[in-house]
Amino acid sequence: MLTFKKSNNQNNSSKYGWLADNLLGWILVVGAVFGWWAISQTISDLVMPGPIAVGKTLAELFFDPIFLDDILISTIRVIGSVIISVLLGMVLALLPRNYPITEIIIQERIKPFLNSFPSVGWAILAVIWFGSSNFSVMFVQVAILTPFCLVNLTEGLKDLNQEVIEMGNSFSRNKYKIFFKITLPLLLPYIIAAIRIAYGVCWKIALVSELFGAEDGIGVIMLRAQTTANASMVFASCFAIVIIFMLGEKLIINPLAKLAEQK
Amino acid sequence: MDNLNSAARRKKRRAAHIFTIAFIVIWAIYSALVEAYVMPGPWPVLIRFFEFFSDMSFVMHMIWSLFHILTAIVISFFTGLLLAILPFYLSITKTAIDHRLTPFLNSYSGIGWTLLAVLWFGINDLTVVFAITMVLVPFTIINIREGLVQLDREILEMSKSFSRNKLKTFRLIIIPSLYPYLFASIRISFGVSWKVALTAELFGGNKGLGYLLNLARQDFDTPLILVVILIIVIFVYSIERFFFKPIQNNLAAHNANI
Repeated sequence: MLTFKKSNNQNNSSKYGWLADNLLGWILVVGAVFGWWAISQTISDLVMPGPIAVGKTLAELFFDPIFLDDILISTIRVIGSVIISVLLGMVLALLPRNYPITEIIIQERIKPFLNSFPSVGWAILAVIWFGSSNFSVMFVQVAILTPFCLVNLTEGLKDLNQEVIEMGNSFSRNKYKIFFKITLPLLLPYIIAAIRIAYGVCWKIALVSELFGAEDGIGVIMLRAQTTANASMVFASCFAIVIIFMLGEKLIINPLAKLAEQK
Repeated sequence: MDNLNSAARRKKRRAAHIFTIAFIVIWAIYSALVEAYVMPGPWPVLIRFFEFFSDMSFVMHMIWSLFHILTAIVISFFTGLLLAILPFYLSITKTAIDHRLTPFLNSYSGIGWTLLAVLWFGINDLTVVFAITMVLVPFTIINIREGLVQLDREILEMSKSFSRNKLKTFRLIIIPSLYPYLFASIRISFGVSWKVALTAELFGGNKGLGYLLNLARQDFDTPLILVVILIIVIFVYSIERFFFKPIQNNLAAHNANI
């Protein structure tokens, strides 16, 4: 009887709780925007622009062709860097399987080195080495993302079902066949996870990588806005990144993950 | 079998040493071929490294960076802990914190916080600590929340049957079961904070290693840039390897014993 009552209660609370939770979630959002508006009324626009001013700038960012170009180029660079660093991470993670001698080199030399290398360090060095260019920006992004992918894919390889691979070995000696038919499909969830992490991190560091070594992109817009004390543009470019990041996650990464699950 | 393993391990270790030496040799050769400001060789960097530690003003910058980082870690730890635990006691705040606040903080870029903080507070320590804290808070919330999800319900129920004192349950049951997650969140915070601190100090600080990096960048003082990077790589790696890893192993062993 007691358990029945309990579960009934839980049902009720989850039904109404969901509504209440969601309502409170949205109230918080509305409240935050309102509070922001109230604060911005009392402070100069230079320091704290209101939500309306930022909204206008945000719309400008997405509809003005000049700004749209910057957004587009940043997006393309992010996608390119994610693909390159996932592939690089995969090569580095797989190398010790085929050549065991490289295990310590990769896991105890390359990984900790890349992992603790500060991202601004890459950004400054890339400008000195390669000047301002697309290559420079993508170099910084790949250098930062590769250790994330390497860590994730190494974990994935550890969890791989060795029995299945052994079975594959007993059916065929063709290494490529085993790799493409068995290892890669088994590794797919981890590859997706690596893509997801790399994509999220890449948007965060896209700004850093564009601050010194780029002539276009959202980072340049933001830095220009900051030096001209255009606070609403600084806000808007940050929000633009949040929006593009979420769109990319919903429209590209999530369908990709679903596709992988079906396989 | 054991012998074979250790022999293989030794071989791998030797390969790693050869790799390290080869890396330094290639660096030296490459640096001889290009302009000194593009790529200074290992030797000038090493000399600069020792000069760095004999100059008190440089060391002070390092201490300031440490101060920024530690302050931000402490503030973000307690803020994150509070925000993670709030939905546990007040389930009505769950959506607000887990589905609105955390994803927002998590996707807002660190450099954005820095540039805004410069506009709000000016170029000073507050800006730097604020920017680092804002980046660390979502990491802390996510980690501690994971710990709360994994909490053993049975133990909680048992504790309820022993005492109705919520504070006592919190102190004696919840916090101890969260130890591994609290530890993980500090460990992650430490790793992330160094990277963010440099950016924050570069744009919003008037002292610290990031500020030094900015000066070096403007003067094209590449050896100093490499020295600062080297210091951070060594520092982050050593703390991770000789401080966090042993504690983690201890924690794991302790938990395994229970």
